[in-house]
Amino acid sequence: MGEKRPIVEAKDLVVEYGKGSRKVRAVDGISFNVTEGECVGFIGANGAGKSTTIKTLMGFLFPVSGTVRMFGEDCGTVESRRRIGYLPEVALYYPFMKARELLELYGGLQGMTKHELRERIPELLNLVGLQGKGEILLRNFSKGMQQRLGIAQAIISHPEALIFDELSSGLDPVGRHDLRRVLLDIKNSGKTIFFSSHELTEVETLCDRVIMIHEGRIVTEAPVSDLMKPLNLFEIVFSMQDGNTLPESVERLGPARDGNQYRLSINDVELYSRVVHELSQAGAAIHSTSSKSRSLEEYFIELVKSSGNEEGAA
Amino acid sequence: MTPVWLIARSVLIEAVRRKEIYAIVLISTLLIGAVMTVDFFNLEGLTKFYREVALQVMSAATGLTVIVLAARQLPREFENRTIYPLLAKPISRLTFLLGKLLGVMLAAAFCYGLFMLVFILGTFYLGGEIPVGLFLQFLYLQMLKMLLLAALSFWLSMVVNLDAAIALGVIFFFASSVMTNAFTLLYPFADPFGQGTITVLNYALPQLALLDLTEKTVHSEFWPPLNLGTMFALTAYAGFYILVFFGAAWYCFRRRPL
Repeated sequence: MGEKRPIVEAKDLVVEYGKGSRKVRAVDGISFNVTEGECVGFIGANGAGKSTTIKTLMGFLFPVSGTVRMFGEDCGTVESRRRIGYLPEVALYYPFMKARELLELYGGLQGMTKHELRERIPELLNLVGLQGKGEILLRNFSKGMQQRLGIAQAIISHPEALIFDELSSGLDPVGRHDLRRVLLDIKNSGKTIFFSSHELTEVETLCDRVIMIHEGRIVTEAPVSDLMKPLNLFEIVFSMQDGNTLPESVERLGPARDGNQYRLSINDVELYSRVVHELSQAGAAIHSTSSKSRSLEEYFIELVKSSGNEEGAA
Repeated sequence: MTPVWLIARSVLIEAVRRKEIYAIVLISTLLIGAVMTVDFFNLEGLTKFYREVALQVMSAATGLTVIVLAARQLPREFENRTIYPLLAKPISRLTFLLGKLLGVMLAAAFCYGLFMLVFILGTFYLGGEIPVGLFLQFLYLQMLKMLLLAALSFWLSMVVNLDAAIALGVIFFFASSVMTNAFTLLYPFADPFGQGTITVLNYALPQLALLDLTEKTVHSEFWPPLNLGTMFALTAYAGFYILVFFGAAWYCFRRRPL
């Protein structure tokens, strides 16, 4: 099997806002790749540089230095945008247009024919939960409906890659659920997805890989499975019976004692299996076992806080 | 459909669905209609007076509509962020701008079309005639004038805020209509520095009066249609300024961070 081609390539990207003394560096030398078929979550606190990076990918902002390429083309070129579906962070759609007309406009700009649009638009409205709303003026659409329409315009031409800035912004829980379903289908069809989100459960569910950005710099970039691995926490409550002694290997782990009960927390699944096995061999009574995993959100908050502390210490 | 046409169509849909154009046409029609009630002319005089007022009102109302419509196209796109999904599609910023310009012109033509209906009905009601050749030339030059105003408004909206762009556009529209006469009157009385300034302004600023055939259309019995050479020269004159203003707007827009 051949190596997967990179869809997004950012190298030493620096983006600044403002001029002179009011210049602000929003993105500070970040490098990352997104390869074909990957679903990558781009997460960070407000003002971390997520939207700035995505806007640069789309050619709305221009880097001070570094390069960004999409599909091997310089970002912002017509060719690079031909194969991308983009959902902006916040966008209103022309209030004087009907949903169908708006999708005709965007589909037409993607090069779709009238015939293709006639078939695609009802299907698409159905997919995003706006069936029967095609002839309604957008001034009568709620924020959530506008966001659904935004998703529809982004995927109208079956683009090879999707770039979503704040994926589920403005959507209610049902909308988020529907969107997740749509994106999972798209992901399973082998399309590339790169999105920023504040909804970290969404990132956990959908993404293969996560890039965390803080104050314009990438602080972590890893597969979701790797990030979640050290976060698992197992707890065993047990007691030793009939004069059996605590195995030395378990004692070394420092279980907490409460009367004749022990409580042991372990954050490694293999060690956990071994300890359970050794306790059984040693004749211990295992009263309960439980596993708890920290969410990506907790991990992210810790990372951001520790990053802040390091800067404070420096 | 081409991207330029698709974008233009969205501008036209907005213009047609918003109520402003109809309000402008209605108010202007009432103004024009009031002219028909005056009784200090004979019928021929009234027809000419009607024609003159109607054409002037139509020109002013359409000019103002074009300035407002063109000046707000880009700022509104930025403000409402509608520009992001649009420019994320495979179109260049030049295509986007051309689409907007065409859309404003289609809206101007729609506005003018409504006025024409009023004008033609009024003329026939008064029993007058429309000098077809001269009238078509009048319409053509009016559209060139509107195109120039739209290009100027685009550029102004890129360099100053929306309110200032509209204000400057309106000032230019009315000032340039009287500029030719004013320069002609002032030049002999000006000192050498003043004469130099007038000469520079004369060539630097587009003189919309040159593109206005209202007087000739009103007094069509004395004026035959313009010959082709003159029409070509006027087209080239307007075309030059349209290119300059549109080029300046595109230059400002092409690398503008969004």
